[in-house]
Amino acid sequence: MEWLLEFLDLPQMRYAFYVALIAGPLGGLLGSFITLRGMAFFSDAISHGAMTGVTLGFALTLARDLNDPMMQLIVSLFCVAMALLMAWLLERTTLQTDTIIAFTYTGSVALGMIMISRLRGSQGLEGALFGDILASSAGDVWLMAGLAVLTCGFLFFNLRPLTLAVVQENLARVEGFNTRRLNYAFVVLVALVIALLLRQLGALLISGLIVVPAAAARVIAPNFRFMLAASAVIGLVGAALGVFGSYHLDTPTGPTMVLSDVALLTGCLLVSAGASLCRRRQLRKARG
Amino acid sequence: MADAKPCHCHHGDAPSSRAKGDPLLEVSGVWVDYGEKNVLADVSLTLQRGTFGCLIGPNGAGKSTLLKTVIGLIRPSRGEIRSRARRIGYVPQQLPLDPGLPLTVAEFLSLKLTRSRWWWGAPGKGAMREKIEAQLKEIGADHLIDRRLGRLSGGEFQRVLVAYALLGDPDLLLLDEPLTGVDIRGGVSFDGLLHHLHDHRGMTILMVSHDLHLVEHLSDVVFCINRDLCCHGAPKEVLRPDNLARAYGHIPGMVPASDGSAFIPLGRIH
Repeated sequence: MEWLLEFLDLPQMRYAFYVALIAGPLGGLLGSFITLRGMAFFSDAISHGAMTGVTLGFALTLARDLNDPMMQLIVSLFCVAMALLMAWLLERTTLQTDTIIAFTYTGSVALGMIMISRLRGSQGLEGALFGDILASSAGDVWLMAGLAVLTCGFLFFNLRPLTLAVVQENLARVEGFNTRRLNYAFVVLVALVIALLLRQLGALLISGLIVVPAAAARVIAPNFRFMLAASAVIGLVGAALGVFGSYHLDTPTGPTMVLSDVALLTGCLLVSAGASLCRRRQLRKARG
Repeated sequence: MADAKPCHCHHGDAPSSRAKGDPLLEVSGVWVDYGEKNVLADVSLTLQRGTFGCLIGPNGAGKSTLLKTVIGLIRPSRGEIRSRARRIGYVPQQLPLDPGLPLTVAEFLSLKLTRSRWWWGAPGKGAMREKIEAQLKEIGADHLIDRRLGRLSGGEFQRVLVAYALLGDPDLLLLDEPLTGVDIRGGVSFDGLLHHLHDHRGMTILMVSHDLHLVEHLSDVVFCINRDLCCHGAPKEVLRPDNLARAYGHIPGMVPASDGSAFIPLGRIH
């Protein structure tokens, strides 16, 4: 039994594990709403655009340290601004959603690359690209906890209008909910979560932790309540397995977490395929 | 022509034909603009309590906009809506739904019964479940209770949307093109449902529809709209080729039926 928890003796593993235990369910739960609203590409764009925020932070703070609080603030503000810009363009123009996202996102990445070429060298950027959850500190655990409280509070306080709007926005509006304000609040929340998880998980992998557990939950969920609970549980199990596996297999932690999630998704797909096969067989038997 | 009001002449008169009770809904001089574009121009109409009113008119004529203005989703730039209804039920136009959405019918309907922002799915049993079951039974959809919303057919989803509106216990029901995407069999049974709501529950209904057969068959009063109110009156009086041609432009193949009402190429359902 002891070897199971031995990785927790290392302080860096311990903090990484705690951060993962909070970030996993947080990503899963938020991901449920992101995928239901068809915003997976949107969150991907923000996580990639966040790299430009990091470059901007490097230029402004002169410290090439992702853990610098000023740096965190700049990246968060940049992500929120980018999310608001995309949401505003979606509301105001007749362009297709993916067109708007594509040009905002490539535009911001292009800007980031030009800024990198002006700064001397790109060192430090890999950290934001791939993330390093093992660099987490006690402060990060508290930051994650705060973010989780904020996200859960927002989602559950607005569960009824959010769910109604997934069916049809007018249904939520008729009940007196201000869906426009809710949409903007939602994209700000997504941007904040991505900006603050960037250091741990990296721009390339964040989307995996948001979209994959939600997709897995959706595949096996018989109803909405189940999907929400399952996305959080799958996010939690995937993240914990990832940290645990990376210690024993000596693999990088972030990618191991994403691969655990993908393995869970594969399992859910198999379970759902098996269940529908059984149902069909029973049906055939019933018909004789 | 009897007393059907011709285009661009009278606005705001209460329909004289088959008026029951007192006015439940009064729309007076309503103008709606989307930016530069004018959608409704000086529309006035009155719906008496207990009547079944239908809004007809070509695409883009502002029918849905008028319903949305009545329910308060759109604010008119001029004019006034007076409603004496205690509660208004709204059945929106059916939009495509994510087929993988795991929300069940019971969960969706429980969203109407919960008053708080907080909501945690439908209970497996208890008063809320019973209320949902009873409502679905009334409209002949109780077998759908645990099905997922995304897996329903057009007609089934339409019934669920009606059930959703009815759970709010409305005395005025607004339906926006409820028959879009419903096949002919679904259409016939849906018209039975509307009949039931109107005749047995005494509900006042205002429905947007393109199905002129259904309109003729169900409604007490028809409002023909093309930006402004073209004409209104009893269906037999409004649904005549000359009126329809004025509102829709010439419809190829439309000939007068023997009784003088409009005859549409598909034939009639009676």
